[in-house]
Amino acid sequence: MSHIHIPDGVLPLWLVALGWAVAAGAIWLAVRQGERADLGRRVPLLGAVSALMLVAMSSEVIPIAYHINLTVVAGILLGPALSVVAAAIVVTLLALLGHGGVTVIGLNVVMIAAEMVLGGLLFRVMLRLLGRPRARWAAGLATFVTLALTTTLLVGIVWAGGAGAASREHGALDPSTLRFENPLSGGVFTNAIVAPESEPASAGTPLSVGRFAIMVYLLGSLGWVLEALITSAIVGSAAKVRPSLVFEGAEHVVTSPPPGDEGMHP
Amino acid sequence: MRMGDVDTIAVLGDSALHRIGAPAKLAAFTLVLVAVLLTTNALLIASLAVALISVVVGLRLPAKTLLGFAAYPALFAALFALATTAGPLGVLLVVGKALSAALAAVLLTFTTPYPHIFAPLQRVMPAILGDGALMTYRSLFLLLDRMDHTLTSVRLRAGRPRSLTSGARMAATALSGVLFYSIDLSQRTYDVMRLRGYEGRLHVAPQPPGPVGVRVATITVAAVLLAVALVWRVWWNLLNPISWLPLAAALAALLVASAIRAVRTQKERP
Repeated sequence: MSHIHIPDGVLPLWLVALGWAVAAGAIWLAVRQGERADLGRRVPLLGAVSALMLVAMSSEVIPIAYHINLTVVAGILLGPALSVVAAAIVVTLLALLGHGGVTVIGLNVVMIAAEMVLGGLLFRVMLRLLGRPRARWAAGLATFVTLALTTTLLVGIVWAGGAGAASREHGALDPSTLRFENPLSGGVFTNAIVAPESEPASAGTPLSVGRFAIMVYLLGSLGWVLEALITSAIVGSAAKVRPSLVFEGAEHVVTSPPPGDEGMHP
Repeated sequence: MRMGDVDTIAVLGDSALHRIGAPAKLAAFTLVLVAVLLTTNALLIASLAVALISVVVGLRLPAKTLLGFAAYPALFAALFALATTAGPLGVLLVVGKALSAALAAVLLTFTTPYPHIFAPLQRVMPAILGDGALMTYRSLFLLLDRMDHTLTSVRLRAGRPRSLTSGARMAATALSGVLFYSIDLSQRTYDVMRLRGYEGRLHVAPQPPGPVGVRVATITVAAVLLAVALVWRVWWNLLNPISWLPLAAALAALLVASAIRAVRTQKERP
């Protein structure tokens, strides 16, 4: 469940701020690890795989218009440190296209990075259990389990923000103040969910997390299966054509010296 | 989403917003975003969306493309709102927030080439993050082209997918091809960067700030939108009965913008 499609100003500020703090911490750790491992050399790979994720997200599976995310494939290729950086890039670019909200960039980085890191790790575990010839199965299973877990994380985020998201103090959804009158009326009709005179302004209605959970698990499970099938097919073909990509990670192959300069660089 | 359109319109467009630098537009974007965050009134958020649409129309930006991009997150927000909130006004508020924020974002990205949006941000970002973002931009359009070509050839061979499994198989085939291409591309790019002496930091040439009048006007419009949202937020119990007023003003602005667009388009016809 890669992306939190919740607009700006719906989740409470504390949750949004927590998302930014966790994301900033994860990026700081990834960058520090990157400096130690000279991951700066992997910048072109990082750009190419992040772009690949964006291409996948802009393509639809006909006929149900589901968009693929390729987070687990990217996690397998990039490894944990670069995955966090790639998640930050992809989420920021999507937010600039209006897709996903700017204030929820932090939470979205946490979601996508968790999916990439967890997917990559689970794939390695499955590979050890099932063996290299079953890389396709390992990728499919890892994707399915990862998406199920991150969907639960999404429901948890909405649950955590649910009560706060409805109250005025958090600058978020407040149906109790949505009272307005027809301009021609002087009272021809008045639309009020809850009249402010009869209810205190801070008594907003909490979000229905149960209904939300049912929706995302029902719609999401179809997405998990599709994403698992596609990831499994991609990893399967990569394991046949370029095994080192899948079994060692893409960063091990981007070290070729410039043509004609082979003897000059270690 | 046709992401390639963003770059084409941002680079080739000639509206007033295209002529000013990214910092002014980033400031205006931030002000509008704060207005979206503050608003808890469905009519007010609708006014904000209509006001931003009138900017799109008045500046003669490709309205269909921009609104299409902004409608995409609104669709997901509608699903979220229908699943979680009570009543049509609650749904309208959530969808309005998504639409307004997305409109503000696409107004920024469709009028500013991506490297110039990232240039001010790159100064405060770690090198790997800033450079990775620029390399993503460079790779994105190459991969989008490759994906288009691969999908066309897959469809020419296999026809249009009729079931979910054939659709998924087709997508997987196309994406596998693009994956191998992207890895080769990253290796070639790495070689070229080393030959050119890359030392861990890409630099983007600064964009000229553009005419002062347009910059001031852009920030003023955004500040007015924020001021209205702030006033309604503070004195909501006094102002809610006249929430129709900003919406009426925004609709009037949209009418004027449409008229200006029609007249200018008419004048330019041979």
